[in-house]
Amino acid sequence: MRSRRHAAFAATMVLGLVATTACGADSAGDGSGGEMAVASAFPTESIDPNGPLAIDGGTRVAAMQLYSPLLDTIGPGEFEPNAAQNWEINDSATEFTFPLREGITFSDGSPITGQDVAASFERTVASDSPFSANFVGIGVEAADDSVTFTAETPDPALPAKLTGVMITPADAAEDSYLGTPVTSGPFKVESFTPGGDLVMVPNDRYWGDKPKLDRLTIRSIPEVAARVTALETGELDAVWGISDDQLTQLTSNPEVQIVSASGSAVITMWMNASTPALGTAEVRRALWQAVDFDKKITALFPESGEPADSVVGPTVFGYAPQEPVSYDPDAAKKALEDAGFDFDTTLRFHYSQAQFRQWVDSVVSDLAAIGVKAEALEKEQAVYTEDLLALKWDINIQQVGTLGLDASYNLGRLYTCEAERTGYCNPELDEMLQRAGTAVDPAEREAAYADATELIWNEAVGMYPMFVKNLYATSSAVSGFEPDGEGLPRFDTVSIDE
Amino acid sequence: MLPQLARRLGLMVFTVWGALSLTFVILRIAPGDQATVQLGPEATAADVAALRTELGLDRPVFLQYLDYLGSAVTGDFGESYRFHDSAMTVILDRFPATVVLALSATVLALTVGLLLGVLAGRSPGRLTDRVISGCTLVMQAIPPFWSGIMLILLMALTLRLLPSAGSGDLEHLVLPAVTLAIPFTALVARITRSSVAEVTSEPYIQTARSKGLSERAVLTRHAVRNSVIPVVTMVSLHIGTLMGGAVIVEQVFAWEGVGSLLVSAVGNRDYAIVQGATVLIAIIVVTMNLLADLVNARLDPRIRAGVTS
Repeated sequence: MRSRRHAAFAATMVLGLVATTACGADSAGDGSGGEMAVASAFPTESIDPNGPLAIDGGTRVAAMQLYSPLLDTIGPGEFEPNAAQNWEINDSATEFTFPLREGITFSDGSPITGQDVAASFERTVASDSPFSANFVGIGVEAADDSVTFTAETPDPALPAKLTGVMITPADAAEDSYLGTPVTSGPFKVESFTPGGDLVMVPNDRYWGDKPKLDRLTIRSIPEVAARVTALETGELDAVWGISDDQLTQLTSNPEVQIVSASGSAVITMWMNASTPALGTAEVRRALWQAVDFDKKITALFPESGEPADSVVGPTVFGYAPQEPVSYDPDAAKKALEDAGFDFDTTLRFHYSQAQFRQWVDSVVSDLAAIGVKAEALEKEQAVYTEDLLALKWDINIQQVGTLGLDASYNLGRLYTCEAERTGYCNPELDEMLQRAGTAVDPAEREAAYADATELIWNEAVGMYPMFVKNLYATSSAVSGFEPDGEGLPRFDTVSIDE
Repeated sequence: MLPQLARRLGLMVFTVWGALSLTFVILRIAPGDQATVQLGPEATAADVAALRTELGLDRPVFLQYLDYLGSAVTGDFGESYRFHDSAMTVILDRFPATVVLALSATVLALTVGLLLGVLAGRSPGRLTDRVISGCTLVMQAIPPFWSGIMLILLMALTLRLLPSAGSGDLEHLVLPAVTLAIPFTALVARITRSSVAEVTSEPYIQTARSKGLSERAVLTRHAVRNSVIPVVTMVSLHIGTLMGGAVIVEQVFAWEGVGSLLVSAVGNRDYAIVQGATVLIAIIVVTMNLLADLVNARLDPRIRAGVTS
């Protein structure tokens, strides 16, 4: 009797599992391009491209599929028109006019006008997102078929900054993005659950090449192990935001292909020059020299990292390569002794992301080898950010990218005395950055950024050990996928082989 | 009875108010606020200070608290800055998913736990008891994030029986519900085992057996009914732990419930969501405790007598 009951129980469980599995059989798409499901580390909490979450990873990826900007960046300082037909810049780089393409419409068929572009810009400025800081002192005037931006002071980087402003209808408000908003990009929204799935279908009224896919779903799977497993089980067709150690599991799978692309991001370890122990360039350079970064990259980020030779990535306008700092602990120790470094000081090395844990421990170990004490302090993200802004650290580590791929966003905003971000203040650097930010001639801007980069590098405002590549894994059925170095892939050219 | 109930309801309101106030204070004294998170690490201190003023976060905490309490009393828990919507609307949208997950885990834990507990408790010290006790000890010790990932690897990656993550239909529910149920099952089984072992040695069970009742009748009519009282109490007390477990499990399985919402809200300093969700969870816990007392009173006349006396 007892065994019969046990058998019945086991049978019920097995039947339950079989039934639930059968219920979940995937239904294949009917169209030619197939259906695709993708996921990154970032949940899509909002699809408002010009709202407070405009810079969130999930929102930005969604915006790439759903909306169009006036122009796109195609290389350092190079752009191509998108919704704009072309653009004109006056001689002083204070007035920028963008005539719109003729006959372009939103997904509901209404025409895209200059008023829509202007309203999108104004929403961005008012959103209190990190994008807003790009547009201080910028005004906008709209006509039906064009839009004109005016800058109080010369702003030659404005076209780069405008690549992040997505066009939405002039009457769009925050509520518009809770359901199925009107879009201006290759896809439109079929359904959206904030923090959950974003399901998109092609926007038939899009003026550019139509997407090949019949349906694209961006899912939110923040846990990397679950995301990678979902790719292997076929629940997802593409994932990104994956770490090097996950690659070992994926590369052995013949049904998965790995691709990568270099982006603007640089692993940046500022050294707080306002800390007495780190006040001189000799000390900061010696600390940089004391750490074997090549070994760390090889061991911890063999696929997603490569040694850096500048403060911003090679994809950024203003990139200027520098002479790498070579590892030499003996020379570093001697330089510290010569500079009168206080070896009793304990340096506060703060960080927030778990991916840096081993890296930070390893750096602390290298510094300890020459007698420098450093304490690794892992902090929750908001705490880290608050302490970062308050300069409550001696060394920090972060991955710094460059929005718009123009060094004005990175160097121009973070390295001035007024910004008070690095603890380093040098009027000479301020002058260089001012020149780089306002010069109308691109060659002059590049030269000024090169001067600024050289100064930052030689003064060792921070250590700049690694350029970051974005890793993507797709199923072998995916074709036409182009990896994006900024972690913002587009799926309008992608199809799934049935 | 009525004064008892009124006192009990008063205590419930006090508990919910305490949870709300404590959450409010902890969030405000924790370093980092909405302005810091919203503008990100690439902002300047001046940008953050300006936004803090705009949001009213630089006002005295006590004034912020009074404003919040006044609104909360009317059911207004504020607006989520990330979702552009009423916090309670966002929370209630996610709430059914968490209820489904928690209920499934509870039903699973009670079914399997009671079965294992009765099996072990009816023959204390024997092999069945030892095996079950050993297994439940291990089950109770396994942290849900680990068992969750192991289940994903086994059931999704190796056997390809179930999806690894996501929410919505029944097949997505199985792994998170099992993960959440594992430690709970062990707890139910261990308490049931002790209770059954204790009850089966009581004289009235001997009497029942001496009357010639079958072992099954003795167990179901006499032993299990009396053994289940501590289980009911424990289940109600465990609801809070279950909600805590759901926070982790939802994160691992990308289950779109209140738990995963709460995790991201804490990281993003979305005060309205954190406070609203805490209040909701507190209400659930105190309500479940009250229900447990009522069920216990129904099951045990002695408790009923105590309540009415």
